[in-house]
Amino acid sequence: MGPQHPIHPEATLIKLKVEGEHVVDADIDASFVHRGIEKALEHKTYVQGLFLAERICGICNVAHTTCYTLNVEGLAGIEVPQRALWLRLIVEELARVSSHLLWLGLLAHVVGFESLFMLAFRDREVVLDLMEEIAGGRVTSGYNVIGGVRRDIDAATAYKIKSSLAKLKERVVKYRRLLEEDPIVRARTVGVGYLSPSEAKELLAVGPVARASGIAYDIRVNDPYLVHEEVPFNPVVYDTCDAWGRAMVRVGEILESIGMIVYALDHAPSGEIRARVPPVFRPPPGENVTRVEAPRGELLHYVRSDGSEKPYRYKVRTPTLANLPAAISMLKSRGDRVVHIADVPVIFGSIDPCICCTARVLVVNEKGAAKEFQLDELAAKRWAR
Amino acid sequence: MIAEALRAFVYPGIAYMVALALLLEWLDRKIVARLQNRVGPYYAGPHGLLQPLADLIKLLAKEDVVPLGADRILFTLSPIAAFVVVTVAAAFVPLASTSGLVSAEGDAVAVLALITIYLLLVYTAGAASPSRYSQVGAVRAAHMLLGFEIPLMLSCLGVLASAGSFRLSELAARGSVRVFGLHAVGFAIFLIAAQAELERLPFDIPEAEQEIVSGWLVEYSSWRLALFRLARDIELLLLSGLAVTLFLGGPVGPSPPGAEPLLYPLYFIAKAALIVFLFSLVRASTARIRLDQFVTFCWRYLVPTSFAYFALAVLVA
Repeated sequence: MGPQHPIHPEATLIKLKVEGEHVVDADIDASFVHRGIEKALEHKTYVQGLFLAERICGICNVAHTTCYTLNVEGLAGIEVPQRALWLRLIVEELARVSSHLLWLGLLAHVVGFESLFMLAFRDREVVLDLMEEIAGGRVTSGYNVIGGVRRDIDAATAYKIKSSLAKLKERVVKYRRLLEEDPIVRARTVGVGYLSPSEAKELLAVGPVARASGIAYDIRVNDPYLVHEEVPFNPVVYDTCDAWGRAMVRVGEILESIGMIVYALDHAPSGEIRARVPPVFRPPPGENVTRVEAPRGELLHYVRSDGSEKPYRYKVRTPTLANLPAAISMLKSRGDRVVHIADVPVIFGSIDPCICCTARVLVVNEKGAAKEFQLDELAAKRWAR
Repeated sequence: MIAEALRAFVYPGIAYMVALALLLEWLDRKIVARLQNRVGPYYAGPHGLLQPLADLIKLLAKEDVVPLGADRILFTLSPIAAFVVVTVAAAFVPLASTSGLVSAEGDAVAVLALITIYLLLVYTAGAASPSRYSQVGAVRAAHMLLGFEIPLMLSCLGVLASAGSFRLSELAARGSVRVFGLHAVGFAIFLIAAQAELERLPFDIPEAEQEIVSGWLVEYSSWRLALFRLARDIELLLLSGLAVTLFLGGPVGPSPPGAEPLLYPLYFIAKAALIVFLFSLVRASTARIRLDQFVTFCWRYLVPTSFAYFALAVLVA
């Protein structure tokens, strides 16, 4: 299936070996669109790099800017005002709601449920309108900047957010009931894409995929990066280990996120929203790693500075990359767990794939063996900047 | 002679059939769109009424491609044969008056046979194209046929047996509604099997866009695709027409004497629209089930129920 296929707008090749309707063996090739963003980041100043980092992924752009700004601020030792952290949390959770609603539409699409697809995308508009109200952009919000956030949320906007989200919450509760009760949706997802807890750990699954396999692993809890200690929420964990569990985790997270946003709007301290940062600054030599819970799972940014105004090395590990081995494992029939061709889109969709952020370059020699590069070797191949 | 030709080709012949079929497609698209909070067909004609026709014309203007490695003869014959088969079958169904365009003793059996032939043509159409998606789709269509064919036949035969006639026009002329009591079961079975036959959600398994792109249809383009789409629309007319004839009393309704030629077509359209409305409701509220689940469902529930229904219908009659 692929690289062009209706289930996924991005170029992904799912190689399947089938016997009739049963999938025997599977592999995924996701390296069709390599954009070289990590390399490009080395040629931008830290402030310029933010705009590039935001465009790594369209849907998780807020997660990427949150991660980038926290990462660079940690490297350069910039103090961020408290209110900015609260506002970042609000926008991040709003983006999570938007992403999960989009995914609910994707799930509906892969099981052939046209109506739910339409409704999920309609309801996502609510969130996008709020995002526009807050940040000015509907999808690529451009809200986080190094040192804080770009705009404040005033009382009128806060009221609007709360009333819109209250309506959205009712609908999401309805969709959760639908997932729990609809016989056909259950028939298509329960037991499909089984990933046992031990396998999830072994294959390093992250985010909702891990949490649906009973692993309570959420960066917001395990390694809080904004003001998560002060905002009450419960990580959603299911132990059904299947596509249905992943759907329930995501829908549950929408409701949790709505609760977090409302709480944060009520309890955010007042004050400055942004520390002034010069457009070009030189952080001291060193390195920094930041982890953020993106809608799709753990997102990791690594930066290394050599004391110049541009990063020496910038590394991004997106959650989809972490979940691909798990997806490949789920696609293979094992024992009495038969994977049908009809299950393939459901399984692949259940990891919420986002491929363009994931593509990697593989350097192979003429015999086809892959070569690994160490950072020093990469540095030796670096052209003059 | 001219009157004969007009009858065969214009009203109530092929042109009328095609127009009616496109109308039903429009109705289906519009209802589903409204249920999904969309607008649906809008631009072509009032309320988008001409959209299905516009789509057909657009398809005819497309480049005609026969993929390399396709069986050229089957690839060309399948769409033509499919169109001919459903059109001939629909000619037996009383659409505008109590009598079909053609009518003969035992024509109900002929219609049922033609429906099966259409499904075989779906298989050959898929098998004639070289694409893997088509092959999978064709095999899926054949598998499904094994599941819903018997219930479809038995639900029709039950009604025919209890009516004591195998002539569709005779059934239509009696105008008796059979959706209560025992025949409610037959009606339900017929509707379920008809949706599988039409490859509509939740039974659009052979096409399954998200899985096998368009299944057996994937390689067809231009006039071949247009013919298949038209055949699908006429099939919708045929099956809703069969349901109307067998269960809803045909085009018969209260009418002042002499006004039947004017009112009966309208009654037929209203009743067929009711059937299409039911189909649209189902399409808008379900997801697609898997092939193995469908076959299991058929053999565990649908086939035994249809046998029981048929036996009871024969006994009562």
